[in-house]
Amino acid sequence: MLGLAKGLGYTFKRMTAKKVTHFYPDVPFPMPPRFRGIQHFSPEKCIVCNQCARICPTECIQLTGKPHPDPEKKGKIIDTYDINFEICILCDLCTEVCPTEAIVMTNNFELATYSRDELYKNLTWLDDNNTNVREEN
Amino acid sequence: MRDLLQQTPSLGNALWFFLAAVVLLVILLGFVTYAIYFERKVIGWMQARIGPNRVGPLGLLQTVADVAKLLIKEDTRPKHADKALYALAPILAYAPAFAVLAVLPFTETLQFADLGIGILYYIALSGITVLGVITAGWASNNKYSLIGGLRSAAQMISYEVPLVMSVVGVVLMTGSMNLREIVLAQQDMWNFIPQFLGFAVFLVAAQAELNRTPFDLPEAESELVGGYHVEYSGFRFAMFMLAEYVYMFGMGAMVTILFFGGWLPIHPALSFIPGIVWFAVKLLLYVFLQFWLRATMPRPRVDQLMSFAWKVLLPVALLNILITAVVISYQSGMI
Repeated sequence: MLGLAKGLGYTFKRMTAKKVTHFYPDVPFPMPPRFRGIQHFSPEKCIVCNQCARICPTECIQLTGKPHPDPEKKGKIIDTYDINFEICILCDLCTEVCPTEAIVMTNNFELATYSRDELYKNLTWLDDNNTNVREEN
Repeated sequence: MRDLLQQTPSLGNALWFFLAAVVLLVILLGFVTYAIYFERKVIGWMQARIGPNRVGPLGLLQTVADVAKLLIKEDTRPKHADKALYALAPILAYAPAFAVLAVLPFTETLQFADLGIGILYYIALSGITVLGVITAGWASNNKYSLIGGLRSAAQMISYEVPLVMSVVGVVLMTGSMNLREIVLAQQDMWNFIPQFLGFAVFLVAAQAELNRTPFDLPEAESELVGGYHVEYSGFRFAMFMLAEYVYMFGMGAMVTILFFGGWLPIHPALSFIPGIVWFAVKLLLYVFLQFWLRATMPRPRVDQLMSFAWKVLLPVALLNILITAVVISYQSGMI
């Protein structure tokens, strides 16, 4: 009998205890600093070394380069850069391998869409995805 | 209301009774809607959650939305179910739940039928619901439904015995089975003090009669999928849910009337508060107890359940009758 009373007392006290519910869609959820979210890509830093496309375990990165418009300079600049978020596993390898930090992770993670086509993100989209960029890459 | 009851029957006052019953039904539906809402809220709070809060302000329209969804759902029926019984079962479960409310005196004057055998009427009619539950279990042609239905029948029949026996003490003290007179006899002291043993037995047995936690074995989700109403959907399922919550209202009213002095105030000095408010407060405290227990108690095993009814509750209830009878005989100078 004492056990029953104890149990009832405990649940009664819990009524006013602090709730653990997050108000996520109403209030943004702060992610931890090392969270691996959707990549941000800065085309001006890219040297078209292709390492990100080669290291990618799901082969979701496709990129093409073109010769530098200034004939004086050597090397290439980026022309197209697409990530397929249908298969991207956000593993951070592209960021780790990038020598110029042209591709970095952000803390954004909301990828839900009504069409699968919308999950192919191109260079401009990835460039504009410049909020909540991760501090250390 | 009581003047109306004593008039000669005519078409005019039959219409009045019909309208009064409709008003009661509407109040009842409102009660059930917000009982479900507060059940989810209270259990949520006790589990460190906040409960429904998306539909309408503070989630107040959550149950309305749920019921609307149930009503527009397809009315499915298993292929080999017994057509007639399958359709009859929800009605058989719900109709007595509403019919028992007729004898409950909500205040001194607000009562739908002033029966001399109010208690017997309540208990006899609420027994019919078991029939609806078995019918549902059988007619669904589903083994889980059948197990749930039979469990429910075994449980409700077993617990009805201590339930009735625990009320006998109150009847002995009052010398009447009329619910109004039972309340009026509690002017000086509410029955739960002299009849504490009977009250305890009544509370436990009522919990089992209502099929609610910790005695919710007929609906044990984890072992029986959903109990006797597995195959029901749409408004038929809504009828079963409605019956469950209307019985909660009825049982709360019974506890209030039998043991907590119905519409009587705590102290005569507080009688400026209308009786219906006192009745509602006591009823709602009982309803809160239901939610509180549901958030606290685990469910016993089937064999523990049965032996508890016959080996613990029934002897205690009989002992209570014996003690009450001896005390009353002593007071009236028979011993």
